[in-house]
Amino acid sequence: MGERYRNRIELLQGTLDLLILQTLLWGPQHGFGISRSIRANSGELLQVDAGSLYPALHRLEKQKWIEADWKISENKQEVKVYRLTAAGRKRLTEERSRWEQISEAIGGVLNPAKKEGAS
Amino acid sequence: MKFWRLGRKREQALEKEIQHHLRMAAMEREERGATPRDAESGARREFGNVGLVKEVTRDVWGWRWLEDLFEDARYGLRVLSKNPAFTVAAVLAIALGVGLNVGIFSVLNGIALRPLPVPRAQQILSVNQVFHHTVSRNVHNGLSMFSYAEYLDYRDHNHVFGGLVAYEPFVEATLGGGHMQPLLGTLTSCNYFEVLNEHPVQGRGFVDTDCAAPGQNAVVVISDELWRGTFAGDASLVGKQIILNRTPCTVIGIAAPGFTGTEPAASAFWAPVTMQKELDAGMDRLGDSNMSWLALLGRVAPGVTIQQVHADLSVIAGRIDQSHPGRLTTLAISRATLFGRPDEREFLVPVASVVLAAFGLVLLIACANVSNLLLARASVRHKEIALRLSMGASRWRLVRQLLTESLLLSAAGGALGSLLALWSFAGVAHFMIAHLPASVPTPALNLAPDFTVLAYALALTLLTGVAFGLLPGLQSSRLDLNTALKGDGALSSGTSRKSGRVLRDAFVGAQIAVCMILLLAAGLLLRGLYHAQTIDPGFDVKNVASTFLNLQTLGFDENRATAFVESLRKRVADLPGVLELAQAETAPLSDNHSGDHFLIPGRAEKVAMEYNYVSPEFFSTVGIPIVRGRGFGVNDWRDGTPTIVTESTARRLWPGEDPLGKTFHDRLTGGVAGPERVVVGVTKDARVSKLGELDTMYVYFPAAPTRNLRSYLLIRFEGNVRDLNNSVREVARSIDADVPVQVATLEDGMEVWRAPARIVTGLSGALGGLALLLALIGVYGMVSYSVSRSVREIGIRMALGADGSQVMSHVLRQAMRPVMIGCAIGVAGCAGVSSVLSSLLFGLDAHDPIAFVSVPVFLLIVALVASYIPARRAMRVDPVVALRYE
Repeated sequence: MGERYRNRIELLQGTLDLLILQTLLWGPQHGFGISRSIRANSGELLQVDAGSLYPALHRLEKQKWIEADWKISENKQEVKVYRLTAAGRKRLTEERSRWEQISEAIGGVLNPAKKEGAS
Repeated sequence: MKFWRLGRKREQALEKEIQHHLRMAAMEREERGATPRDAESGARREFGNVGLVKEVTRDVWGWRWLEDLFEDARYGLRVLSKNPAFTVAAVLAIALGVGLNVGIFSVLNGIALRPLPVPRAQQILSVNQVFHHTVSRNVHNGLSMFSYAEYLDYRDHNHVFGGLVAYEPFVEATLGGGHMQPLLGTLTSCNYFEVLNEHPVQGRGFVDTDCAAPGQNAVVVISDELWRGTFAGDASLVGKQIILNRTPCTVIGIAAPGFTGTEPAASAFWAPVTMQKELDAGMDRLGDSNMSWLALLGRVAPGVTIQQVHADLSVIAGRIDQSHPGRLTTLAISRATLFGRPDEREFLVPVASVVLAAFGLVLLIACANVSNLLLARASVRHKEIALRLSMGASRWRLVRQLLTESLLLSAAGGALGSLLALWSFAGVAHFMIAHLPASVPTPALNLAPDFTVLAYALALTLLTGVAFGLLPGLQSSRLDLNTALKGDGALSSGTSRKSGRVLRDAFVGAQIAVCMILLLAAGLLLRGLYHAQTIDPGFDVKNVASTFLNLQTLGFDENRATAFVESLRKRVADLPGVLELAQAETAPLSDNHSGDHFLIPGRAEKVAMEYNYVSPEFFSTVGIPIVRGRGFGVNDWRDGTPTIVTESTARRLWPGEDPLGKTFHDRLTGGVAGPERVVVGVTKDARVSKLGELDTMYVYFPAAPTRNLRSYLLIRFEGNVRDLNNSVREVARSIDADVPVQVATLEDGMEVWRAPARIVTGLSGALGGLALLLALIGVYGMVSYSVSRSVREIGIRMALGADGSQVMSHVLRQAMRPVMIGCAIGVAGCAGVSSVLSSLLFGLDAHDPIAFVSVPVFLLIVALVASYIPARRAMRVDPVVALRYE
């Protein structure tokens, strides 16, 4: 049971970090909000389960790429809200360019003929 | 504690965060039209296992392990305190196992690991040399020691020592002048007390001028013990003269109380090394530049490493090698300890390994025992473990929890055992030291625990906790959740229960196997001891007494020695009860036999043989019959050629031939054949040299009547040896008051051979007994546990018509299977070990059939009884009650 969760975290780790950082670029957000944003922005395709999300948030916090504040919500609840730090912004650009390289590379592998034709 | 509060706060924050997530998710569902109840359960379902999400999130924090440790420890303590019977049993078993091991280690530490008993001892290095090609060298103490010239070279040319000390250990001397007694002392370089920082508390230590010239300064420092004992604390002793080996020496100082030198045998006095010739007359070691007789200790200068010392001294060694063609010397440099020289280590290391292994085996049994207790308990805890698993605890987390419990147990057991051991082993060791034969010098051992012992105890405790906790932990965390939660464990006979049984059987088998090895070893040793006590040495040990006349060290020359011995012999022969007198260079079974290489015509290689110079009356006095040829005549010594060999020597040298008239030669230096020896007689085989074996390669030469500087006087007598001793001493004193005489029967000489066997046998018997006790508790516990777990199965069998005895035999068969397998493995294992034992102790037959049959039979019977007692309960099972039991 435990193994299942752990495997998924490892698989998604790099990508999930990227998605979280990108989501927080638009403004501070709590955990539930982040998961809903990712879902909405991916056209309901990407479901981030809690067992991956919270470890990722806490890890990013520990690495000082994001910071958290406790705020009081409209319905008088304490809410933990995450926001991007300067280091997180830098990290995001790195992660983005890395992701673009990877997707380009994978695209090249998947469509070799197209690439040859273009050159 | 800060991290603890921090952890709790963070824990609450995480809980809040997750609750918020769930509420938001539920609200979202409600907005889409779900009922509040559906919305909430839907949100939970989507979220997944809350416990597990928390756990994997907490993993990220990093403080985790410490918090978990505290939590596990708290939980473990609660669990353990709820099962006091189990906890006490486990703690006692571990305390026994760890305690024994820590105890024996503290003894070994005291013998050979702790630094010398001098201030700032960690700076003291022991320097030894190792010769790589066969060199011709005179050896007085150990080959690795140095000559005086070599010492001076190292002392004056090294750049690494604050001071370098040389000393000759184990110098035998007779204290004369009204206090006659044998003493063991040390000859030292004159910087000894200075470098060791052990300044005499009264008077002074040596100064350089004491060592300025050989024989010039007869001064001596005596030990506090000698001063208080023999000299009754005479406050005016410093400045007075005492007699050592007939040499008057001025007492210049009295050593600090408790300082007994740097060797295991306590030193009673210290004299300048330059007094060697005066204190051991007839020997000039000082001037022999090729004689190994001085041990070297250096106090390293601040900031210098052992490697630097080695490099620096090796230069000197290389230079010395150049002046001795063909010699290649390397240096062995180590922190100085007792028994630290290569020759001593060579003996000590295998002995210590065997002893540590034997004690380790008892700990192994204790571990297997506690493992089994844990396994049995784990099946009772099935439900708890299943619950924790289903609530999202990972398996690793559970194993860690169970291991923490094991470590708590081992910590408690280890602490208890170590305390008991450190308190009791010093007593046991002193008891054993007090029961060594009188001829062995009293060792000066410090058994107080030090850092090394504490570190060993801690490491052993941790290792023990993991050793007995890991397998049961892994086993009991591997559960089939469904059956475990539904059934009560007893009936959930899934795979986990079966593999649990296999594991439990394996632990019992292992305990029995290890126990068998220890018991067999004890049995073999006991047989060896019996052999040693009852062995016939082949000569008369009861009615022959001997006394060692070491006239050379007393400063006699040959003429005076002969005069003394002749008059002693004449007057002893007239004593009542004395039947016959003889003289020999070495008494049977004394510990200083001479040996050399001889050249046999027709053989290429040299033959090593032991020899003894004896007077013509030797064979009849001692009672060794001549079986062929003749004994020695009174004139045989004149040409020196007649020789007598033992039967087995004759068989070995000249198989199938008549040994009479055969010849061989002494080997002289340079391989030249020396004087010829002609065999004139053959003696019956005896055990003159070693009690453990018949004398093969042993020959007798005729002694000249003037050979009296070092000899044994052998007396065949009737009556009481104590009376003989008194009258012989009286006679000796009337001839020369300064010659110490001590008459004892040859049987007393055998004690030296028997005492180690007795100590080792006692020790191994005690160990075997403890191992047996532990293993039996293991077997008993396993059988009573499995009977109580299979009450229902037994009930069904009985309901189907099996009677009590059938059930009993079923239970016993099941119980004895691992025992039998363990026995077989143990016997096989011991057959491998016993050859090591027999190489260490004499008189031991590695495959003694009586031990190898009786011990396994004994163990099987005892194990059967241990299983029978709990198995009786199975017979009394009432099928009706048993089937309703669940």
